Amino acid sequence: MSSSQEDLAPLISPSSVALVGASPKQASVGYVILENLIDRFRGTAYFVNPKYDEVEIKGRQLKFYKSISEIPGPVDVVVIAVPAQVVPQVLEEAGKKGVKAAVIISSGFAEAGNKELEDELRALGRMYGVRVLGPNCLGVYNAFNGFDTVFLPAERAGRPPAGPLALISQSGAVAASIMDWAARRNIGLSIMVNYGNKADVGDVELLRYFERDERIKVITVYVEGFKYPGEARRFLDAAREVVKKKPIIAYKAGRGAAAQRAVRSHTAALAGSYEMYRGLFRQAGIIEAANLRDMFDMAKALATQPLPRGGRVLVLTDSGGMGIQAVDELEALGLEVPELPESIRRDLRRELLPFSALGNPVDVTGSATDQHYKVVLEALLPTAFFDMALVITLMQVPGLTQNLAEYLIDARRFRKPIVVVNFGGSEMVQSFTKSLEDAEIPTYPTPDRAARALWALYQYAKIRGVVRP
Amino acid sequence: MSVVDRAKAEGRTKLHEHEAFELLRRYSIPVPDYGVAKDEEEAVSLAEKIGYPVAVKVISRQIVHKTDVGGVVLGIADRGGLVAACNKIRESVKARAPYAEVEGCLIQKMVPQGIELIIGAVYDDVFGHVVAFGLGGVLTELYRDVSMRLVPIEEEDAWEMLREVKAYRLLTGYRGTPPRDLHAVVDVIVKFSRLLSENPAIREADLNPVIALEEGKGAYVVDARFLLGGD
Repeated sequence: MSSSQEDLAPLISPSSVALVGASPKQASVGYVILENLIDRFRGTAYFVNPKYDEVEIKGRQLKFYKSISEIPGPVDVVVIAVPAQVVPQVLEEAGKKGVKAAVIISSGFAEAGNKELEDELRALGRMYGVRVLGPNCLGVYNAFNGFDTVFLPAERAGRPPAGPLALISQSGAVAASIMDWAARRNIGLSIMVNYGNKADVGDVELLRYFERDERIKVITVYVEGFKYPGEARRFLDAAREVVKKKPIIAYKAGRGAAAQRAVRSHTAALAGSYEMYRGLFRQAGIIEAANLRDMFDMAKALATQPLPRGGRVLVLTDSGGMGIQAVDELEALGLEVPELPESIRRDLRRELLPFSALGNPVDVTGSATDQHYKVVLEALLPTAFFDMALVITLMQVPGLTQNLAEYLIDARRFRKPIVVVNFGGSEMVQSFTKSLEDAEIPTYPTPDRAARALWALYQYAKIRGVVRP
Repeated sequence: MSVVDRAKAEGRTKLHEHEAFELLRRYSIPVPDYGVAKDEEEAVSLAEKIGYPVAVKVISRQIVHKTDVGGVVLGIADRGGLVAACNKIRESVKARAPYAEVEGCLIQKMVPQGIELIIGAVYDDVFGHVVAFGLGGVLTELYRDVSMRLVPIEEEDAWEMLREVKAYRLLTGYRGTPPRDLHAVVDVIVKFSRLLSENPAIREADLNPVIALEEGKGAYVVDARFLLGGD
């Protein structure tokens, strides 16, 4: 299987698209994809359905072609949303026109017992040099150029903004809900690919594609299970290369069933089990997420923060309780929370309130001002004693203002990871959070999640070999 | 002809234990000194050569679980003990597995006390050969405290397999127990990985136990089981 970026560019980042099975009937699959294309696709879209000639949709006169061969210009990718039995014929027609890729939305193939029909697609794809995504999939969402084959209406399934993240998802429904969730949190999930039955294009080719896409900083992968002989090994080999350039975070669903089987003691019981996937991820240098939220918590930090050169964390807080929680989590994750050096402690004593706690965490207390945070960060973060900072800013205390965001953003110049815990729902908290997130400082509502984000950065620093010996 | 090819040619899907030892030795994986004895007389002269204490295990293709039929005696200190052990095994096997054809006995040197490890392997269509590592005993099973890696396994992967299990601290010296020869354990894993990739017919393997001795004293595979299938 070859997998150069050139192979998949027409599939993921096409300039021209033909939608076969386009429909003017609202709420149909053929309509939602048509609407996606006319609303957002920055390229040429052709619509194919022999039942129509010209239809007015959303105030535009749209021409419908009878077949792919009628389309006047070149076509990069054909999106196929017609009944399963007709798909091979459409794919062949696309191949004859010289189309390089096909997204087959239609279901009714191997997942419904029609393995032969799916084999036929694979064979046709090979014969004509068409890369096939699907069948039985959501296909591609690409915020960069608006290519979007997700057949769920945008008002129900939000479309996330362009940004540094990509998602490879085995499940279509999970992908759609992640997209909706990310859209509502303004998480820059630029590209989502769901491969459905994986007749041709799968995780391995997609990893390779995202490896080369400079706009993507972090690759997230949702996997339930591989299916082809030798696939795990190919995934391992590809991932090992990719993580030298950018981090991969994976979440493996389905951990329980195999656990049941594996109560027997010998090794064979572990075949195909979650433990094998865990081993594979670790061997490849993939960071494993505990759940989907964890995946994007970590992705946010990996996409924005520099890598730490060690595992020593400065915890700075205005709440003793929150600080203790952070230390608990950090230590449980194997990170260090060392004491402050005596010399710096003495200097800080002069600048901070007399009842501030100058351990680690540094507790500037509920009487803190913006200035206190600034003083502590400047005294400690650019020193050899700390590799990263977890800053807790409970904005409910009276002395803190929006200026604190500026100080935290300014601390980026120390080139060490900073994550912020900011809990609450007031307008002030929200606007503070937004300022930080806009300036690429990841914020989390609870200390455990911020600690996990730092852990992920440290893991990736180790994988990349930048941790100081 | 390799032991794997020989077993396949004979239509067997399981290696005899002495064949398993031979296979391990070919890959320089440490096993205790051993030999196969046809009768008591041979057993005695072998044991003298190897040096006591020894263990005796029955060899028969019909017997899957040697211990269940009384086919194993451990910690034999001298000639008298050996003769008694041979008799005991003969009687016991005759009574509990009358159908079994006994081909002889495996005499192997007893390995000193150490920490018992399990290094296993399984072949999975999607993953290929995967090696599992864990400490012996019921807690490993209870907590599923195993680490796994796909073959081929590099040295660094093997170190991570060791460090990944929760019981790792038992290996580095815990509450007064001495640290174990971890380099030797890593070496076994890496060589075992090579053995597997060069013998694709192996479907399942269990090195159980592997005894890790104190630092500098090595690690030995004391019992090994290999199941074969198609290439």
